[in-house]
Amino acid sequence: MKTALILKFITALLLFTSIVSCTEPYQIQTETFEEAYVIEATITNELKKQQIKISKTYRLEENGPTFESGADVYVEDDLGNQYEFAEQNNVYESTIEFQALPERQYQLFINTADGREYSSAKETLTTVTEIENLSTTVVSKDNQTGVEIGVNSYDPTGTSKYYRYEYEETSKVTAPKWNRFKTILLAYPRICEGTEFPGFETIGFELRTGESKVCFTTKNSIEILLTSTVSLNEDRVTNFPVRFIANTDYTIAERYSILVKQYVQTLEAYTFYKTMKDMSGSESLLSPKQPGFINGNIKSVSNPKEKVIGFFEVASVSSKRIFFNFHDIFPDTLLPSYPWDCTEQVFNSMDFGTNPHPTPEYPCGTGGPGLTLRSAIRRNTLLFYREAFPTFYMVKPACGDCTTFASNIVPPFWQ
Amino acid sequence: MKKILFTLLITLLHQIAVAQVEEKKFSFTLNAVPLEKVIETIEQESGYTFYFDEDWIRNYPEPVTMQLTDVTLETALNTIFQNTALNYYVSDKKIILTKNSVIYDKLPENYFNTDKTKTQDNNTIVIQGVPLFQKELTEQDKKKDAKVNYIGKENKTSKGKTFQLSGYVKEAKTGKPVAEVIIRTKNNEATAITDTQGFYTITLPEGLNIIETDNFLYGKEIRKVVLYNNGKMDLSVSENINQLKEVIVKGKKSETLKSANTGVTSIDVEGMKNIPMVLGERDIFKVATTIPGIKTAGEGSAGFNVRGGKTDQNLVLLDNGVIYNPAHFFGFFSAINPFTIGSADIYKGSIPAEFGGRLASVFDIKTKNGNVTKLSGEGGIGPVTSNLTVSTPIVKEKSSLLVGVRATYSDWILKTLDEKSLQNSEAAFYDGVLKYSHKLNAKNDIEATAYYSHDKFSVSSDSLYKYNNRLFSLKWGHIFNAKHKAALLFSNSQYKFNIEYDKESDITKSFDFGYKINENHLQFKFGYALNDQHKISYGVTTKLYMIEPGYLNPTGQETVLTPVNIDKEKALESGIYLSDAYKVSEKLLISAGIRYSFYAALGSATQRVYDQGAPITDATVVETKEYGNNEIIKTYNGFEPRLSARFFITSRLSVKASYDKTYQYIHLLSSNTTQSPTDTWKLSDLNIAPQDADQFSLGLYKNFTEDDFEVSLEGYIKKTNNLLDYRVGADLLLNENIETELLKGKGKAYGVEFLLKKNSGKLNGWLGYTYSRTFIKLDSEFESDKVNNGEYFPANYDKPHDLSAVLNYKFTKRYSISTNFIYQTGRPITYPVGKYTYANAEYTLYSDRNKFRIPDYYRLDIGVNIEGNHKIKKLAHSFWNISVYNVLGRNNPYSVFFVTKNGEIKAYKTSIFSVPVPTISYNFKF
Repeated sequence: MKTALILKFITALLLFTSIVSCTEPYQIQTETFEEAYVIEATITNELKKQQIKISKTYRLEENGPTFESGADVYVEDDLGNQYEFAEQNNVYESTIEFQALPERQYQLFINTADGREYSSAKETLTTVTEIENLSTTVVSKDNQTGVEIGVNSYDPTGTSKYYRYEYEETSKVTAPKWNRFKTILLAYPRICEGTEFPGFETIGFELRTGESKVCFTTKNSIEILLTSTVSLNEDRVTNFPVRFIANTDYTIAERYSILVKQYVQTLEAYTFYKTMKDMSGSESLLSPKQPGFINGNIKSVSNPKEKVIGFFEVASVSSKRIFFNFHDIFPDTLLPSYPWDCTEQVFNSMDFGTNPHPTPEYPCGTGGPGLTLRSAIRRNTLLFYREAFPTFYMVKPACGDCTTFASNIVPPFWQ
Repeated sequence: MKKILFTLLITLLHQIAVAQVEEKKFSFTLNAVPLEKVIETIEQESGYTFYFDEDWIRNYPEPVTMQLTDVTLETALNTIFQNTALNYYVSDKKIILTKNSVIYDKLPENYFNTDKTKTQDNNTIVIQGVPLFQKELTEQDKKKDAKVNYIGKENKTSKGKTFQLSGYVKEAKTGKPVAEVIIRTKNNEATAITDTQGFYTITLPEGLNIIETDNFLYGKEIRKVVLYNNGKMDLSVSENINQLKEVIVKGKKSETLKSANTGVTSIDVEGMKNIPMVLGERDIFKVATTIPGIKTAGEGSAGFNVRGGKTDQNLVLLDNGVIYNPAHFFGFFSAINPFTIGSADIYKGSIPAEFGGRLASVFDIKTKNGNVTKLSGEGGIGPVTSNLTVSTPIVKEKSSLLVGVRATYSDWILKTLDEKSLQNSEAAFYDGVLKYSHKLNAKNDIEATAYYSHDKFSVSSDSLYKYNNRLFSLKWGHIFNAKHKAALLFSNSQYKFNIEYDKESDITKSFDFGYKINENHLQFKFGYALNDQHKISYGVTTKLYMIEPGYLNPTGQETVLTPVNIDKEKALESGIYLSDAYKVSEKLLISAGIRYSFYAALGSATQRVYDQGAPITDATVVETKEYGNNEIIKTYNGFEPRLSARFFITSRLSVKASYDKTYQYIHLLSSNTTQSPTDTWKLSDLNIAPQDADQFSLGLYKNFTEDDFEVSLEGYIKKTNNLLDYRVGADLLLNENIETELLKGKGKAYGVEFLLKKNSGKLNGWLGYTYSRTFIKLDSEFESDKVNNGEYFPANYDKPHDLSAVLNYKFTKRYSISTNFIYQTGRPITYPVGKYTYANAEYTLYSDRNKFRIPDYYRLDIGVNIEGNHKIKKLAHSFWNISVYNVLGRNNPYSVFFVTKNGEIKAYKTSIFSVPVPTISYNFKF
């Protein structure tokens, strides 16, 4: 902010003195990279195979973490019960189903493949508080009308206080320009074959297998959603907004479902998540955020100064799912449009361009829309929608096949 | 009387008559008879008439006792006037008395000899005496208001001799001896320098000598001395206010050696003009940062760090009133017009007990008093700003008014530019000082100062930032008697800023944000010079703070913003102090002071009480308390001893030690590395305790007078408590419960400062080097409140090595060259050191706080100064400065920052003035 202004000021004021002030990319010293373990561990009161994720930090220029395998992971309670975790699809999953019980103390232990030992602070299960219900309210946000999904919860004991939410939303999607046939290229007969030219494939049709018209997309929340009832008279969460969807968002155009999970947190866990959230928040116009390392409750046994990112949390969880259709919420509003441009692209499949001097070697053109169409079919960059031979109407894959971006498996909870 | 005498002399000089004294004998018996009576007696006895000025006789109140028997009139007169400065001339029954002069009735033998000088010995050149004609004196007297002093009495036979003139040079106001004042004849043929007692001895030829004093800090005193004998003449000099010609770069050098204070620097306001500055702006704070122990975060950053102190720990006073943000445009320019400054003293340590409320330093800046005799002024024209300071007498010799204004033309330049992106930009500032001083009578004087500075700039086309300082101060000085004096000071200061955010694309988000701090300050201070050994000062002071910590008013229609208005804060800070400068012996001087400060946070307010056993967060509130108007929320107090001592090991080598304790009840909240105009001041309250610091310093000071060198070496250790720092991810503005974002820490700083100064000569300047470290520790029983594992880490402004060299070389009286070199270790920074994925989202991992450093900073500036011609009669005295800033074109990083774009973090480095910047500025004085 300041920098930009200074730049302007300098440039403006001192043109005649040829002053240059510059902002240039600065090479972050790669030797500054710090490797640290990242441990995501939330044990809940839900009877299931509990999961713990262990990864490592990665370089700024890299994409995504690497799963840390080969670690010995277990949770121990104060009665001496050990719950072993085993590697399973890049997470550590408890070998047996178990649930956190009230008034037991749990501690996480990790021995990594390279022999380093980590342990967490001892944590106890937080108050179990059920989500009462989820609300849907039409609100206006940033000049945009949409639906807000809110959580209502109440703890008469007043001991929950700190809440974290996660959601999983599923929407039904229908490919708007779907055809039960798909185009394929036939090696024979060839078109425009010459002595020196192999000719073009014939375009054929084939019935599609599997569902590709109606699919379901599922997304997890990526934002940290936190609320606290400390400043309130009673421990009641009222319409805490977990998700806002604009009425122009295709996510809710067809049927939509959201599962909201409520974790009751300890103050320490809440603070950890809150700091992480605050720090990653957008830069304020008024003042920048103080960057720094966020302390969790997991430490290295041998080197207490070692950075370990993560919080071992024993939280009560409660979840609620709702479904709705677009017109349930917005009865008089047009359905949101499909998120992809589904304009049909028109090709004359027999137009290969002109060849002014046809020869036996090259009897006709060797390119034109015919060639473009065939290469699109070969590379699956366009899907068949309809035809009026020799004209083919093609669309982007997302418009004709929902499996290109969603799953065609109907979720078990879907209704 | 002078005129009559003059006419008389002219007449007499044309008489070629030889004095004829009749050989008549007289006898007198004088027994304790006043000189006046003696003359009457002679008149009666001899029948001669005396002609004289009665004032001369009154100068000899000593009664005359002598017995003269049968002597000639000549003998009688010779005897009587022997011990006086009176000469006589006898003519026609008339005896004409003259003071000092002899009335010549013939021209001296060598009168037409042009070779007036001769070398007496290798070391001293004296001017051969020539008879002095009164006309010479009187005519010159009309031109300059120099006083004529007569020493001894002319003797007709004493031609061609030299005499010793000695005396003390004292400070006109305080009467303190002034050392290191050069006394010299106008043509430099004889010089002397005062010692530490202010004593000098100069060998001068007989007759008229024009001598002048020369010391950078004091105004030039020119005296005409008519010397007929060895004699004494005390001179008093007053502080350099409006001198004709400046002397370059001289500090209060022997003051440094002598005073009991460690860590005190006086900025030489006049000498400052020679230091090359970017954009041709003289800047008192920029000069300050070349002094060891005072640092800035870099170009374009307001605020300074004094001896490991934070930027909010400096008390910047302009005529006793606080200036909260003494910077224009992010610190590129200081907000105090240099032309209006009379003196600037900086206390890095040994802060006098009179001052309080800040931990690290006091910048005591005083404006000049206006000229009480005639209209005068000074001005400067630079590429960015122009300024004009005019002073005029209101009541001659009694009161004057000084007006100084300065403004930029940047806004106009921005508007005329073709560049579209800049046309909507605004960047402008101005400031003005108005000073009225009035000497009511010998015992009372008043001074009133009004100051205002205003800045506005736009960062983007949709936001407009404005901030301003306003100050009013009044001082009434009263002298009870020679020993006891007092001053009543009142000041009101206000700082406010405001941001207008006007988003055209989305009017619903427009807002107006503002902040304001206001303080009223009242102080009674007394100085009591008990005796030669004890000089006591004492006083009481009180301050009322009122802060409006912020409001946000949506300005757009159909706004989506909610108005925010944070509760006002109010507090009273008072202090009482007593200090004594005790001169134990010639060698040992002890200055002991005690200050007791008392602070009360006042309602109306709402304050939260937090769970003692948990970190202060929104989630740990136990209770919310309401306080009525002026109800005391919380009080704090502190004893602040300030002790220092000086011991002379030799007359030119002294050692000093000091201990200071300071309390600070007001805090600047700034998550930026550098001070920014939108940082807000916060008063101590129920949850925020005052900061306090202890500083120990020890210094060695050595002067080499002959070569005008001054060397000092000072070391310090400082410990600070309750420093405010910020939680990771803290959001400071418009936060109703700011304590939830704050961490309390301890500070530790130490350093060694070396300064070598050459005060005069063709080559002068100074070289300063500091090695210093500053650490902060943020530890807590709660993991979330720990930073860097609760261990000490380098503060944002920790720059171990700091070297500054300011050198001037004077080719001739008119041409000089100045250079300025600065080297500093790059400041610490928190780096992104990696990324990680947590709860499905990607986050950036940062290093330990301030683990890395940005590249080192260095810069060389060169300036050429050309003084206008030295003709006495001309409209204005002018001064050109041509300078090149950053001659080496060093690409110094101003900041390194990180931007996350499309999930990718990128580092950027900004540098300002990464190429040499030439500037020309013109200054004038009339």
